[in-house]
Amino acid sequence: MSDTTDTIDILIEYIRKETGFEGPLAADDDLLTAGVLDSFNIVSLALFAQERFEVDLDGDDLVRDNLAKLSSLAALIERRRAEQA
Amino acid sequence: MPASIPRYLLQTAQRLPDKVAIISRERSATFGELLHEALTTSQCLREIGLVPGDRVGICMEKSIDQVVAILGVLFANGVVVPILPRLKGPNIRHIIDNSGMVAVITDTDRLGEVKEFAGVTRLITGHGAVTEDWPNLPYMRRFVQALNGFDRIGNDNAAIIYSSGSTGRPKGILIAHRNLAEGADICAEYLGTGEDDRIGCVLSFNFDYGMNQIWQTIRQGCTLILHELALPNDLFSMLARERVTALPVMPVFLTKMFDRRLKVDTSRFDLSSVRYVCSTGGRLSADMIADMRGAFPTARIFSMFGLTEAFRGTYLPPDKLDAFPTSVGRAIPDCQILVLDESGEECAPNAVGELVQRGATVTKGYWNDPVNTAKSFRQHPRFPGETLVYSGDKVYKDENGFVYFVARADDMIKTKGFRVSPTEIETEVLRHPEVVEAVAFAVPNITIGEDVACAYTSADGKPIADAVLKQFLKSQLPNHMVPAILVHFDSFPILGNAGKHDRKVIKQQSFARLGIAPPAHAA
Repeated sequence: MSDTTDTIDILIEYIRKETGFEGPLAADDDLLTAGVLDSFNIVSLALFAQERFEVDLDGDDLVRDNLAKLSSLAALIERRRAEQA
Repeated sequence: MPASIPRYLLQTAQRLPDKVAIISRERSATFGELLHEALTTSQCLREIGLVPGDRVGICMEKSIDQVVAILGVLFANGVVVPILPRLKGPNIRHIIDNSGMVAVITDTDRLGEVKEFAGVTRLITGHGAVTEDWPNLPYMRRFVQALNGFDRIGNDNAAIIYSSGSTGRPKGILIAHRNLAEGADICAEYLGTGEDDRIGCVLSFNFDYGMNQIWQTIRQGCTLILHELALPNDLFSMLARERVTALPVMPVFLTKMFDRRLKVDTSRFDLSSVRYVCSTGGRLSADMIADMRGAFPTARIFSMFGLTEAFRGTYLPPDKLDAFPTSVGRAIPDCQILVLDESGEECAPNAVGELVQRGATVTKGYWNDPVNTAKSFRQHPRFPGETLVYSGDKVYKDENGFVYFVARADDMIKTKGFRVSPTEIETEVLRHPEVVEAVAFAVPNITIGEDVACAYTSADGKPIADAVLKQFLKSQLPNHMVPAILVHFDSFPILGNAGKHDRKVIKQQSFARLGIAPPAHAA
């Protein structure tokens, strides 16, 4: 299992706990459009990701394009992890 | 010109057919295109049997297609009933039944949750790909030529907006075409919204405040830019890129825009185009005002207040914000705010009384609810033949006529820009098999208005793990209604007679246990 898959699994577990959403969650779904995340819990997700994966995300990272899809968020985390390791 | 939004749109589309009216992530539409789409949509709706006065639900993501669906219903002589997505079953069912809704226009993302109501009302998708299963407006429009059969007068019903009350299910506020049209004129006048404005719209079109941005755009021939605020950097880059001049917000949006944890540096964005920022739906804190001034140094800041029953009531002129920061301001144009004592006489300056509003924005009452309508929509001997809105809210006016809020009429919890009914929360908490009694209340939280809190007792006298109870509630309630704070009681104090819970004492004891000061009444 790759790091990215692990990361996505951890994010999914968090989202399910936080939102109570029980439907399918695919890595490339836009979770804002789908209504799984709203403008409040997407922020919680970003803060969770920083803490859980011990990465520092700056203002430019915290944008919709990076956070609305699990695949792009996982990619961002991997990128920052590699840089900040 | 007779006052209605469809007539305003006809006029503006004739005057400025090629001007961009509305911009979203996916596409944009000129006033000419908006009129065409609205007219053809109205024809589609007539073809499937919509007759004048029929109520049509709109349950869609914020989009140009949503605006088109709203306008299409108005042009078809129907009555728009917004349904907040993710409202969850029982409330949607109530709105469909109570309004006597004949159809719901939804989109593909929401079809799944709305589908279960297909038995009681007709479903139409207003958006997305053509499907064989559901009638689809973009598909139907191809076969229809524009026809103008709009025949509503200003007094006719245009919309019903459901708003939570402190007891029971949401009440539908019945709005006339005249209310919408005059709401556009009044706001454009005191805000100074004009043809050159570009309104950045983070607001939802399920409520009067957001809808009013559509009406002002149509009336003034300005441009509306749709944006879903999730992360502040996206908003600020949109504001700079689109050269937005007007930004209507609510305190809850400001909290998010200037959330320190998200490391936003607004100096990186050129926000010099923003002429005004206006806010309603809660008090502006000193921090919020400072943040707005920091980010938008050239913008005028309007602090506003309104009852849903009358859309908008007061605004504080921007040059008075520093002198009277805790005031909600004075009456909007074409409306009057009265402060009345118990005998119906006007109070002296600084004496507390009930806020009563008269004028153009006063709506027609509650749909299908004569009892509550008679309570809040009443006459006053000084204004024979006229209906005024009695808010129940306690306010006073100072010597300059500025209004100050003292206390709300009801126990409604205002959280994240929503009005939440304690009764609705309690009903769901009580469904948990271990819960015996429940009392919901508000806990002040300046960043979102108030937190929803709920005290409860349990069958075995032991607390239920917060995570377990919240998880249960999340399956029943929209996120904003799930209590952030849960307080377990061994037993509830009871009021002297009739075995009623002493809500006041329960609340006080909860505050004491949470270690927070009870809310002081704002003076």
